[in-house]
Amino acid sequence: MNDSSQANVLLVEEIRRGKPTAWSELIAQYEGRLLSFVESRLRRRDASEDVVQETFIGFLTSLPNYDTRRSLESWLFTIAAHKLTDHLRREGRRPALPFSSGDGSAGNWEPPGSDREASSIARSGERRGMEDAAVTAGIAEQIERWQAAGDWQKIQCMELLFVLGWGNKQVSEALKLTEQQVANFKFDFLERLRKIVRGQRLSEDVFPELQG
Amino acid sequence: MSTPFTDAELAAYLDEDLPQERMASIEQALRDDPTLGSRLTGIVGSRDAGVHTVGAMWRRNRLSCPSREQLGSFLLDVLDTNQAEYLRFHLNTVGCRVCNASLDDLRTHHRAEEQVGLETRRKKYFESSVGYLRSDD
Repeated sequence: MNDSSQANVLLVEEIRRGKPTAWSELIAQYEGRLLSFVESRLRRRDASEDVVQETFIGFLTSLPNYDTRRSLESWLFTIAAHKLTDHLRREGRRPALPFSSGDGSAGNWEPPGSDREASSIARSGERRGMEDAAVTAGIAEQIERWQAAGDWQKIQCMELLFVLGWGNKQVSEALKLTEQQVANFKFDFLERLRKIVRGQRLSEDVFPELQG
Repeated sequence: MSTPFTDAELAAYLDEDLPQERMASIEQALRDDPTLGSRLTGIVGSRDAGVHTVGAMWRRNRLSCPSREQLGSFLLDVLDTNQAEYLRFHLNTVGCRVCNASLDDLRTHHRAEEQVGLETRRKKYFESSVGYLRSDD
């Protein structure tokens, strides 16, 4: 999925120039789906609207960090997820966990702050970004091929294995495939990703699923 | 005590990226099962150490999510059968929160448009016929 269309790039450029009409347009485009996302969890309209409001404010404060090559919708939902996590934590519904870049509003969508060692984060972040971009592009290309060929079952198979983390047996039962078929699909897919990692001389150590 | 949650689901939980019922189940289990907290802490540590997982990259970049237009076509029931079946799988089995939110929003817009259409139609019928109203008096 990619919504980083030219229209969105232009919209963000206008917002960066401080155009209220562009900002109003972005709100109109995305507030409904963001509200639905938050409300599905909170079940309370007032509190959900507050979280969406914080999301839009968060978007504007993080705008200097937003790369328009990235999907605008995904960026907004990432901010909303962080704001929602904060809200749930304040309410005591979400148990506190140790600080992490992937949990809570101190995540990587915030503008560079003074509370972390910016240089080390930037260095490691750059490396991680390269690894992520290379493998993500490989997965996306494979999915597009399957979609073009109408091979939806392979997408379902990989989604169950990797996105939900199901075992081969459970996947084979759900999709009415043999376990051997699931294993073959999985092997072919991972082999393709391994080639990408090796081809770009990335460390295989940080992709544990590709080792084997 | 073992739990039925996979590591991929726990990682999605950290990103607020599971269906609400599954999120609530994990939160409940976290209160009852201290080992689940340890597993989550392990996942957090692994991420912070720069370890990548296919599932996290797939989810974060929404690699198999349909476009807004495709969701609209799904709502209008004009997608081909296989693609529609895949979308049902993505929405219901995978339970993609973002796509479900987008679909809910589209439904709301669709209903609002239908309402506007209904009002416009009624107004048109009324205005084109009101001149023929006759009083019996």
